[in-house]
Amino acid sequence: MAEAVNELDHVVTSEEAVDPNKIAEEQMDVRRCLAFVSGGLTMFMSTEYVIEIINDHSITPLPATPDYVAGIINLRGSILPVVDIRILMGKERAEYTSKTCIIVLNIDSVPIGIVVDTVKQVLDIDMNDIQPMPMKRQQKLANGMLNLEDGTVALSFDCQSLIQG
Amino acid sequence: MDSSMEGMLDTYLLETNSLLDNLDEMLIADEKVGTFSTDDVNEIFRTMHTIKGSSAMMEFNSISVIAHKMEDLFFFIRDKGIDYLTDEDRKDLFNLLFKSEDFLRGEVGKVEAGEPLLDNVDEFNGKIAAFMDRISRDEARGEAAAKGEAVPAEAPAPAAAPAAPAPAAAPAAGGAASIIPADDKAAVFIHISLEEGVGMENLRAFMIVNALKECDITFRAYPEHMDTDSATSQVIIESGFYLAFDSEDQAKKAEGVLPSQNHIRDYEVISPDEARKQVGGAAPEPAPAPAAESAAPAKQEAPAASPAAAGPAASAPTAASAKEAPKNAKTNGPVKQSLISVNLQKLDSLMDLVGEIVITESMVTSSPVLKQLPQEAYDSFNKSARQLRKLTDDLQDISMSLRMVPISGVFQKMNRIVRDMKQKLNKDVKLTLIGEDTEVDKTIVDAIQDPIMHIVRNSMDHGIEKTKEERLSAGKPAQGEIILKASHSSSEVVISCSDDGYGMDPDVMLSKAEEKGILTKPKSEYSTKEALQLILLPGFSTNKTVTEYSGRGVGMDVVKKNVESVGGNISIESEVGKGTTITMKIPLTLAIMDGMKVTVGDSIFTIPIANINQSFKVEDKDIVLDESGNEMIERMGVFYPVVRLDRFYGIQSSIDTIEDGIMIWVEASDKSCCLFVDELVGEQQVVVKPLPQYFNNFDLKGRGITGCTILGDGNISIILDVLGVYTAAVENA
Repeated sequence: MAEAVNELDHVVTSEEAVDPNKIAEEQMDVRRCLAFVSGGLTMFMSTEYVIEIINDHSITPLPATPDYVAGIINLRGSILPVVDIRILMGKERAEYTSKTCIIVLNIDSVPIGIVVDTVKQVLDIDMNDIQPMPMKRQQKLANGMLNLEDGTVALSFDCQSLIQG
Repeated sequence: MDSSMEGMLDTYLLETNSLLDNLDEMLIADEKVGTFSTDDVNEIFRTMHTIKGSSAMMEFNSISVIAHKMEDLFFFIRDKGIDYLTDEDRKDLFNLLFKSEDFLRGEVGKVEAGEPLLDNVDEFNGKIAAFMDRISRDEARGEAAAKGEAVPAEAPAPAAAPAAPAPAAAPAAGGAASIIPADDKAAVFIHISLEEGVGMENLRAFMIVNALKECDITFRAYPEHMDTDSATSQVIIESGFYLAFDSEDQAKKAEGVLPSQNHIRDYEVISPDEARKQVGGAAPEPAPAPAAESAAPAKQEAPAASPAAAGPAASAPTAASAKEAPKNAKTNGPVKQSLISVNLQKLDSLMDLVGEIVITESMVTSSPVLKQLPQEAYDSFNKSARQLRKLTDDLQDISMSLRMVPISGVFQKMNRIVRDMKQKLNKDVKLTLIGEDTEVDKTIVDAIQDPIMHIVRNSMDHGIEKTKEERLSAGKPAQGEIILKASHSSSEVVISCSDDGYGMDPDVMLSKAEEKGILTKPKSEYSTKEALQLILLPGFSTNKTVTEYSGRGVGMDVVKKNVESVGGNISIESEVGKGTTITMKIPLTLAIMDGMKVTVGDSIFTIPIANINQSFKVEDKDIVLDESGNEMIERMGVFYPVVRLDRFYGIQSSIDTIEDGIMIWVEASDKSCCLFVDELVGEQQVVVKPLPQYFNNFDLKGRGITGCTILGDGNISIILDVLGVYTAAVENA
């Protein structure tokens, strides 16, 4: 009996030795996120969705689609749909410049590209710091917001909403 | 073996060889350790079981017998645990396993080469039995409990029976007489004996029983529970099986069917008196027919089976030759294994590559730089280019055909479904298959199997009238019919399923849909065709009761989704009282096709050459307007609507006057119109690529866009579906 207790103690202590880090990690839930700008808004999304970033790619417009569908591109032999999130958010269409990027995403194995104004950087963002949007209903693409270290406010981009509906 | 088995042979060889390969790997790994893990014992048991089953099915007896013995052996080992064996036993077991694997391989090799298989496997059989004996005797020695011994000790005997060794034959001669079932109600018995050594006798008998039942003959079969009780196998080997009929008519009917069944050595009708005498009396040994009959072959069997050297020469051939003859006939040429399994993705990338090669080839050969070559060099270039073209065409054909499989696999499954439902629903329906050998891309076959199954079920369940009387009073034959048909049109596979049942009433459909609140416009605005299409909407079901097979209304919308996922469409025609036809048209998505490139503004569209009748310049005065200002043009005495692609798709184009652009007269399934475009670019072979999955939510097909292709310069061209353009621009304008 005494032995068993001892053993149990031992297990606990050994776990404790590892725990601090673990707990911190669990509490922090830090993810690498890509920050970008579209229509004057800074947004970010988890890098797990991001395949690559391309620019200066010619987009073939696809008729008979909603105007937020910029068209399709030929990405090394496969056809990729491209959505202009600027228009999806109800903003004015902007001319595509050399700074305009297409972020290639893979959302639940649906490949899709989004047009953004510029790509900023990759950040480590603690998911727990993200605050809910105050006005939920009017948001199509953002599902949270966050104060960045440099004082700007960034919106969390909801990748799932791209492929729904 | 009839012709349907021929195709199965390839599959059998592939399967068996890969099982043997696995076994080999496992054995070699295990021998290094010197023992088997429990998992491996189970795995070997399963492997042997599979080989036994499939070999028996293909009637390769030597293989199935040996596999059966090995199965028994491993059943025993599995039961006792591997630790039960001594080290020496294990060593012998490994040897035995390797030997049996070699033996099986040898026999499979013979099947491949089209040579006759061994008829007498007793020698090898004996080795296994001896080993089995030894380890089971060890057990008796080791364990005091004698009860466990009975099972393993006896196991070799029935297993050996198909090969007909002497011990099994002996009781057969004596014990066969008194088996006639005690069935007082029976008017007539039929006693059936199976061919010797066919293997899995109980199941074969059960198959015969089933076949008779399918012909609406009522009878009772003895021994009972043949399908589930494998012990009955032994009884059937020894004395055949009995069918008891209530009336002579039924027996006569059965007699008509029996000749068409396989594996029946002979059968005999026994009158009730005779039967009763046998049942009642003490079954005198020599007199009654069945006893004599089963005894005779048994006696014949005895010398054939006794492995003593003298026997086989005389009597074995008689037994063997009968079976050898058909076997030789069916395997006249060597059957080389000709199947390998290939990852579908590899085929896909091969297809893509070949597609790119075809495009690049036409890019190279039509390069304007060539014009600068001196004439002589240009000619010789053209000569080589032609050769290259032929080769790439062949390459393309072959790589396309790699993915093609006949649709018969899917169709055959429907036979089974119709058969099962026929019995459950008590409807008399026949299934007619047309165009089974139509070849379709593998991915399409996979995608349409469920839809077809669902449609057939629906037809069985809701389409065909509930009773014969209902059909007869409607002036239809008593037997319902479902026709499954597949055919190729130029760029599509057309699969249709028709039944001659109730048919669907558009008015009923409409009121139903209204009730469910799924109508999108006033009831009166629906055409008959649109009303029928309502069945494809989620949440629509015309049947009041939910049955086991269909009726929740979840089916048809899923069917539609599945068909659309491979770029197809589904349409419904139905006439009340006459029946319903559901047609699925599925494009050959992977097709490489000839297309005409045209420009509209900045966009390049590709129109399938197959759809183009003519292209021509027109003047403004050729254009005729109708009352609402729609443009038309006359071609060969008929007026066709003009579709300006720039306006239709809302594309900015600098060309607006009719003189500056060009008219293309297109036609698809009897629908014809003229497309107005800016310019013709040229003809090119293109690889059709489906549009990304993301666009499934937008009805692009309804706007005439079905796919796209990558041009030589990396740009994308959109492929137009002429029928879709016509429907959207002309019919629904």
